[in-house]
Amino acid sequence: MSIILNHVTKCYGRLRAVDDISLHVVPGEVFAFLGPNGAGKTTTIKMMTGLLAPDAGQIEVCGFPMTTDARAAKARLAYVPDQPFLYQKLSAREFLSFVGQMYELDPALCVERANQFMSMLDVTRFADQLAEGYSHGMKQRVVLAAALMHDPQVLIVDEPMVGLDPRTVRIVKDIFRKRAEAGRTVFMSTHTLDVAESIADRIAIINHGRIVACGTLAELKARAAQEHRLEDIFLELTQPEPSLVEGAS
Amino acid sequence: MSDLVAAFSITPVPRLGVLLRLKLRILANRVGQLVNQSPLALIMAMVFIGTIWIALYSIFENVFVFLRRFEQPAVIAIPYVFHVFFVAMTLLLAFSTAVISYGALFSRDEPSFLLAMPHAPQNVVTIMYLEALFFASWSLLLLGMPLMLAIGHVQGLPWHFYLVFIVAFLGFVPIPGALGLLAALMVALWLPRLAKQTLVYAVGAALILLIVWWGRLWAVSAAESNRWLTGFLSELEFLKGAMLPSTWVTHAIRYAIEDRPRDAVFYLGVTLSTAAFFSWAGVAVVGTKLMSAFGRAHSAPNKAKASSGSASQAVADVFFSYAPPQMRLLILKDIRNFLRDPVQWSQLVILFGLLALYLAYLPRSRPDGFTVAWQALICFLNFGAVTLILSTFTSRFVFPMISMEGKQMWLVGLWPLSRSRVMWAKFLYATTITGLAAMSVTFLSVRSLALPPVLALVQIGGTLSICIGLCGMAVGMGARMPNYDEPSAGRIASGLGGTVNLIASVGLVAAGVALVGGICYRMVQAGELGSLDGYCWLMFAGLVVVGPLASWACMKVGIRRFQRQEF
Repeated sequence: MSIILNHVTKCYGRLRAVDDISLHVVPGEVFAFLGPNGAGKTTTIKMMTGLLAPDAGQIEVCGFPMTTDARAAKARLAYVPDQPFLYQKLSAREFLSFVGQMYELDPALCVERANQFMSMLDVTRFADQLAEGYSHGMKQRVVLAAALMHDPQVLIVDEPMVGLDPRTVRIVKDIFRKRAEAGRTVFMSTHTLDVAESIADRIAIINHGRIVACGTLAELKARAAQEHRLEDIFLELTQPEPSLVEGAS
Repeated sequence: MSDLVAAFSITPVPRLGVLLRLKLRILANRVGQLVNQSPLALIMAMVFIGTIWIALYSIFENVFVFLRRFEQPAVIAIPYVFHVFFVAMTLLLAFSTAVISYGALFSRDEPSFLLAMPHAPQNVVTIMYLEALFFASWSLLLLGMPLMLAIGHVQGLPWHFYLVFIVAFLGFVPIPGALGLLAALMVALWLPRLAKQTLVYAVGAALILLIVWWGRLWAVSAAESNRWLTGFLSELEFLKGAMLPSTWVTHAIRYAIEDRPRDAVFYLGVTLSTAAFFSWAGVAVVGTKLMSAFGRAHSAPNKAKASSGSASQAVADVFFSYAPPQMRLLILKDIRNFLRDPVQWSQLVILFGLLALYLAYLPRSRPDGFTVAWQALICFLNFGAVTLILSTFTSRFVFPMISMEGKQMWLVGLWPLSRSRVMWAKFLYATTITGLAAMSVTFLSVRSLALPPVLALVQIGGTLSICIGLCGMAVGMGARMPNYDEPSAGRIASGLGGTVNLIASVGLVAAGVALVGGICYRMVQAGELGSLDGYCWLMFAGLVVVGPLASWACMKVGIRRFQRQEF
């Protein structure tokens, strides 16, 4: 298994942001994690990357428990957050070099991979400018390139397509698929249902901190009462609670 | 517990060198960018900093020359100068390291990025700790170097004194720094959503303790000379505690001055070994607890709820009724930001509240009343204190306002409101809020000192003028040297533009203080404070004009830039 979440719970005060969820993600899989705003997606991802500790339950990445062997687990994953972080006073090339060194890549391999991913994601033309001048989409591409530098077994991406132009979206989708074909795992949280529909092997939908559906697109469609598009399934499964609707009206 | 034991046995990790090289690369890029893109601004900042540095050197040199006139008191007083200096530096360094470390470890995006990588949290703590020490020790450098050079020059000390001083400085900085690092950890663990408030209340409590203690010294100073000296020194006795790091550094420097190298080296060794131990222990403890503290800082519930806004609406209606409706809306938004941000309003309340507390001491401690010279001197000092506080407040909170507004230009830029009006709305808001605080304290000062009407006019008119000048300067320069990329107002204020504005503001305050000082001096020379001669009227006219003039010039430059700014 690439990722195992076993009865994981996380509370923010009285709010159960993640409520007893269990997931198994296997190698060679693109796994889409869907849910409305505030459903618990980012909290789940942060626990998977070791940034937050679960209040209950266990998380394993590539067989290494995140609570007891975080360094081994983190060495096998890469994380791209929803707000891409770059050092404002570093260029893309310097940033990729830094990430390569942090993962102890051989210097020659580091340069080779940096050039490869910069070329693939169309970063080369601004590779030597400071990041403070980048647009959101440019930052997103650099952060994605950085995440691929050490060829992680598990790539965890929070909203990967935000700010990307259609050509880059296509490139990123291709990268994700190729990684899955090479036996790597891509765990992707997204609101872009088309992306999930087109590249995900399996999809999980989280609502109010609980997994309300998990399976292949065909399995989810089979569960739905009438409609057959992922959007309809998502809307059906993530309806607001009646009390909230009444309160709003 | 086992984690803690493991942390204390951690060996150096090669990734620490990578992190260190990263920080040096960022610093080099930052400096390179400044040199290439804004050389004039850089030169201006360096000239202003150099001016302050030379001024400090002159002050310290004069103090030491003055003390040397009195052989015996000088022997007693000079160590006290160092004790007081290093105790103050202990508090300042611990506080600033705590603030910087908290931001670096728990509230920025950088730790999320670094902690998702496979390395020991101690690496992240070490690098952030070193960075915090680097940034926090600027104050020590700015104040300490002129102090060292002044005493070395006045006393004619040999070269090894300077060596001891530098090593003592470097050895001393990590001690309060490690305490600050631990304080940041405790806030993240136990008060994660109250970090800002904790900071404000801690500063407020420390300042209140300071002023109460200072009030006692003031009361002591009302006694006759011998009793005063004995009482005064006994009040300061606790500063010489044998277990205080400030005492060890003071001893090292003192023995270097007295040409006792063995004793100096002993205290240097104590300081350096304590610094090494504190740093190691601080990094190990914070590194062990970092992940849980980070988790708490990012997962504690945010209970902030917006109030109804009726109080801010009332403030806008009462104090800004004259402003056109659209400007008033913009001002109302800023008032709400101000009232809902405890760091802003509490800083204003604490600083001016403390000033008010100090003024409340005045009548009680001088039952026999003030002489003309005392009245003029205290009036002059009050003016300096009020305007200096104003300058720090406008630099910290008013200067970043245009940069912060720039992020909302997609909204503000589409309103049927010219950009110059946006600037004037900021100016009116800042001048009214700071003016109310400053004038309240000034009226209290006038009343406490029972100033004659003419001198009261000088103090009130001068404060108002400088207040207008500082607000116009901060808004104007905020638009002239904005930083639209930085989300943190604090970082905008501490950037190059903010530093230039602070220095220019201090320059304006210095001009005001010089004019008020000139007026007070001539009045004392004349033996009465009831009237102004021709020169004094001239200086008063200059005082009243200098603030609005500076304000007008900066606003003009700022508006021109803001109108041309593309977003």
